[in-house]
Amino acid sequence: MKFISIAVKDFKELVRDRRGLFFILLFPIFFMMIFGFAFGGMGENNTPHNIAVVNLDQGTINSTGSNVNYGNNLTAELQDQNYPQNNDVKLFNVTTTSDSNAKDLLRTRTVDAELVIPANFSDSVQSLINNTILSSTGQTSSANKITSTITISGDTSYIGFGVAQGTLVGYLSQYQQGIVTAITGAQPVQYINTSVQSVAGTSSFTEFDFLAPGMMVFAILLLATTVAAILTREVESGTLLRLKISKMRSFDLLFGGLIPWSLVAGAQVVILLVVAILLGLKWQGSVYSILLAIVIGIIAGIASISLAMIIASFAKNDRQAANLGTLIVVPTAFITGSFFPLPAEYVNLFGHSFQIYDILPWTHTLTALRSVLVYGSGWSVVSSDVIISAVLALILFVIGVFLFSKTRLGAES
Amino acid sequence: MIEAKDLTKKYGDLMAVDGLSIGIKKGEVFGFLGPNGAGKTTSIKMMVGLLRPTSGTVYINGTDVQKVEKGTIGMCPQELMLWEYLTCKESLDLMADMYEVPKKVRDPRVKKLLNDLFLVEKADTIVSKLSGGMKRRLNLALAVVHEPEVVVLDEPSEGLDPQSRRVLWNYIRAMRDKEGKTVILTTHIMDEADQLSDRIAIVDHGKLIRLDTPENLKKEIGEGDVVDMKISDTSRNQDLINELAKEKDVISVVEINGRINIRALNAVAKLPMMMQTVERLDVQVADISVRQNTLEDVFIDLTGTGLRE
Ligand SMILES: Nc1ncnc2c1ncn2[C@@H]1O[C@H](COP(=O)(O)OP(=O)(O)OP(=O)(O)O)[C@@H](O)[C@H]1O
Ligand SMILES: [Mg+2]
Repeated sequence: MKFISIAVKDFKELVRDRRGLFFILLFPIFFMMIFGFAFGGMGENNTPHNIAVVNLDQGTINSTGSNVNYGNNLTAELQDQNYPQNNDVKLFNVTTTSDSNAKDLLRTRTVDAELVIPANFSDSVQSLINNTILSSTGQTSSANKITSTITISGDTSYIGFGVAQGTLVGYLSQYQQGIVTAITGAQPVQYINTSVQSVAGTSSFTEFDFLAPGMMVFAILLLATTVAAILTREVESGTLLRLKISKMRSFDLLFGGLIPWSLVAGAQVVILLVVAILLGLKWQGSVYSILLAIVIGIIAGIASISLAMIIASFAKNDRQAANLGTLIVVPTAFITGSFFPLPAEYVNLFGHSFQIYDILPWTHTLTALRSVLVYGSGWSVVSSDVIISAVLALILFVIGVFLFSKTRLGAES
Repeated sequence: MIEAKDLTKKYGDLMAVDGLSIGIKKGEVFGFLGPNGAGKTTSIKMMVGLLRPTSGTVYINGTDVQKVEKGTIGMCPQELMLWEYLTCKESLDLMADMYEVPKKVRDPRVKKLLNDLFLVEKADTIVSKLSGGMKRRLNLALAVVHEPEVVVLDEPSEGLDPQSRRVLWNYIRAMRDKEGKTVILTTHIMDEADQLSDRIAIVDHGKLIRLDTPENLKKEIGEGDVVDMKISDTSRNQDLINELAKEKDVISVVEINGRINIRALNAVAKLPMMMQTVERLDVQVADISVRQNTLEDVFIDLTGTGLRE
């Protein structure tokens, strides 16, 4: 297995080149710290959150026999809320609409979040009221506990959503409590659940929570520069010529190189996560989410290494590789939204509209990392982004191998 | 064994190699001798298939060099081509793996190579911490770790001290004599070409000037000796050369680096005649010596110059 020998060699070179290793590991940490200090407190501003409310509530019959719709009530309440610290500014800017229209508004970022009030919402509120009255009079509630789930959905890669959903979750629990206190003053049993993209979100978001996964993607992208320089050095020092006349195939060289470098990408995710948490990242999740994040990081690493091969196919020396790498990596980081989300750009192809940045594997990596680390999402939520990024990384790898073999591994002319 | 036909390499307007045709026999040490920029490296790079010729073909055992099985050839490049962060042993192991040498064969072979090339003590030293000469020896070892049939060495003794050079020469001879390998080497050191090669190709400006055994080459320009003379007033060199050239016993007179080389049969007996000429022209001899005809003299005779450094 020649690629294993290559992997071992690359790993030794990686570890023994202290200066290079320091650069790879410290530079992103340094960036993370700058962003951590600069943006750690931001995001708690006083502008209304734009939300779309989809009220599917069918209403219910209350104790006096009249038809009530708590969904309408909640919508009205949402519209009336003001910022606690600034009474002139509304907390939410509510648009009531249909689900499909709300999804469109989300996509164009006209609204930050979509709130779906389920059909049985009024039933559950009524059930809450009934049971609260019963328990306050000493009776145990026997019958119909009805729970309902309000779904908050949105684009997890969008800072606006993070802030809006945090506020919404906070507000909804307040609303439920409000109903109960209006009747008894007791602690409510949970009758209305909220679901943010399937998992509960955090209550207060800062810019940094959004930037931290971006920094990880940036760090992994930056690997492309280093790996391109190393590959070019192999060309420059002539060692590639030695390998070229041996029985090694280009697959051995490039796949062998992929192993240690993608592990570095995975390690970077962990290191940067630790640094980010120390700097105040409010992260959700468990050991499972770390493992998932590492896998996502490795996939992004593969994409970066493939990019490195493409760069190394054209660079004449390692300085050129580093420069060309930076020239490509930094704009790519911007496009993928590592620093801040860019407005979506759509193109029409074959009658479908595509987000053009979606062609880059790292865009999906970022979405997935954010979802996993900041919202604590599991595999089911991020699977499509992970799979797409893996497929794109694979395509990039094939292109990289092809170009590198063609330009560097054939006979010179 | 190796058959090059009409090899030509053009770099823009420059003819780096110009219509080179040679056949190299199995089990011989074949030397390329030529000054800097003569096209030696370019020639052998084409012969091992690393460089695509502008025109011409190379066959190894009847197969086009581009299709020849990898591992038939081992090449020691002129420049150091080493992994700075690996140790000697790791580098050798890696190359052996790349040539699919089984581990059982590899380990004793690497040990023997390190031993033969006096690198045992440095086996576990990182390459960047080796001396220049050690790096050169490793550079060579890496080319032969898979025991190729054909070993191509581009200026292998560059940067080696006399002792290491002996080690290298013995190693090259052993490869031929004990293992029956075909060795192609390039050099601009006459002594090396003379002592090692079975046949020598003298190249200059990309062209093959002569191809023969060292003995024949030396014979070809006569079996005379060389009187190497320096006169105090070098501006009179040409006068003296003109005068000496008229003498019928003198085979040739040339000026090299300010010195005058006079070739003649039985030169010692001709010395009085030469001294008379010197006195007649009223010049002072600063330094004089008589020596055997060497390959260098052949080279000078053929290319009209000493080695351009
Ligand atoms: N890649 C290249 N591009 C352009 N010209 C080249 C290239 N490689 C070699 N040359 C030119 O071809 C000629 C022959 O070079 P080559 O390296 O074959 O010489 P050499 O005989 O090996 O010399 P030396 O003894 O210095 O190693 C030189 O004039 C050199 O400048
Ligand atoms: Mg050369």
